[in-house]
Amino acid sequence: MAANNQVGSETLGSTDEKSKMTLFKDDRAEDWGAIVVSILIVAVIIVMGMK
Amino acid sequence: MSVQAMSSTGSGRDSFFTKLPGALPGLALIVVTMVVIKMWIEPWMAVTKVFGMQKPLTDAFHLNYILLAIVFGLVYRNVIFAGTIPAVLADGFKLSRLMIKTGIIMLGSLYTVQAIVQLGSMAIFLIGGFVILSIIMVLWLGKLMGLDRSMTAVLANALSICGVSAAVATSPAVEAKATHVAYAIATILGFGIVTMFISPFIGHALGLTDLQYGAWVGTGILNSGQVLAACLAFNPKVAPGTAVSVGEIWNIMRVISIPFAVFAVTVWYWSGRKGEAQQGQQKSLGTLLVEKFPVFVLGFLVMVLMTSIGAFGDAGIKGGPPPSETIKTLRLVMQWIFGFGLVGLGAYIDVKELARAGGTPLKIGLIVGVTKYVLALIVVFLIKDMLVSI
Repeated sequence: MAANNQVGSETLGSTDEKSKMTLFKDDRAEDWGAIVVSILIVAVIIVMGMK
Repeated sequence: MSVQAMSSTGSGRDSFFTKLPGALPGLALIVVTMVVIKMWIEPWMAVTKVFGMQKPLTDAFHLNYILLAIVFGLVYRNVIFAGTIPAVLADGFKLSRLMIKTGIIMLGSLYTVQAIVQLGSMAIFLIGGFVILSIIMVLWLGKLMGLDRSMTAVLANALSICGVSAAVATSPAVEAKATHVAYAIATILGFGIVTMFISPFIGHALGLTDLQYGAWVGTGILNSGQVLAACLAFNPKVAPGTAVSVGEIWNIMRVISIPFAVFAVTVWYWSGRKGEAQQGQQKSLGTLLVEKFPVFVLGFLVMVLMTSIGAFGDAGIKGGPPPSETIKTLRLVMQWIFGFGLVGLGAYIDVKELARAGGTPLKIGLIVGVTKYVLALIVVFLIKDMLVSI
């Protein structure tokens, strides 16, 4: 997989952990992560708006 | 009906949460960068005089926090860090896609269901037509120029749908080598970077409305992050009816089409391999839909539903009451999140890597990319009376 360390390697396509362009296991896990983060942000905004 | 596919590879042993503390230094640099841009550089640009011209950076060059965020990211990687993000900062920059996806989910607060149906039906028409056209063009040019079948398949989806995600999603199903994916990604990102920077100037020069501009770049630019950047660079405002609210609907329609395009291109790939189709794992369209559907779109749709039922108060849709305080705060937070994500996106543009793209994939990429970009502008002009603002 040496080629993964070359052109465009810093993507989700890389099997090399260091050159992945995400901290998540894969694209799907990142999608769920984004859903969780957005729920947290919306919840914080709503709670702050109640005060 | 089924197609050939190979199992995808690549899963990390460390969980997201164990890596998160290591991401803090990079994240801090991104946040500080955006604070400097928003608090000092942008206000300075709005009042500064150059050669006797009043506010030329914002009025003539249309510079705003979005373009500056990308430029800062580019400079960090290619100038300050000489091509490689230091290990201590790397994990923080890896959160950039998470931020962009989070922002897109929250962008659902700009729409009601009615607006989504209205814009979505226009988007399906344009996106569907252009995805099919691009795939056919790449497959034809690939055959004409004698390009490797696997490389052609990856390039077809990369140039027709969503750039990086589509190239990566297609690769295991068409036996693509890492270099095929790499070439396809380098080609589309190189093209996308140019279009991301020139589109706002073209849009302003042609006097396009937000709706026309959003429809154009949402169709003509290949990569999700670059569509977002090009829209916000044209009009940094995050509100219903602005360029980003239109461009992202187009973009989401295109992202949703990934499993269908992967299926179609995989069928094409294996139809040319004749007797070999039974050797690999069989994957149906249903399986591909389950595996490749971008689930963050579901989060976006839930936001649209909640906005439609008034969960966040008045949404500030055109012709209605002004937005509630919750909606205003949501839109302000979105601007910052997109800014953070786009600093990271800029830092993932490695000029040296892009320079390695070349040969036949680059030729095909340029032909199809430019055709799509110009044709999308012509089509938007032709149907501008049919485009209805939300």
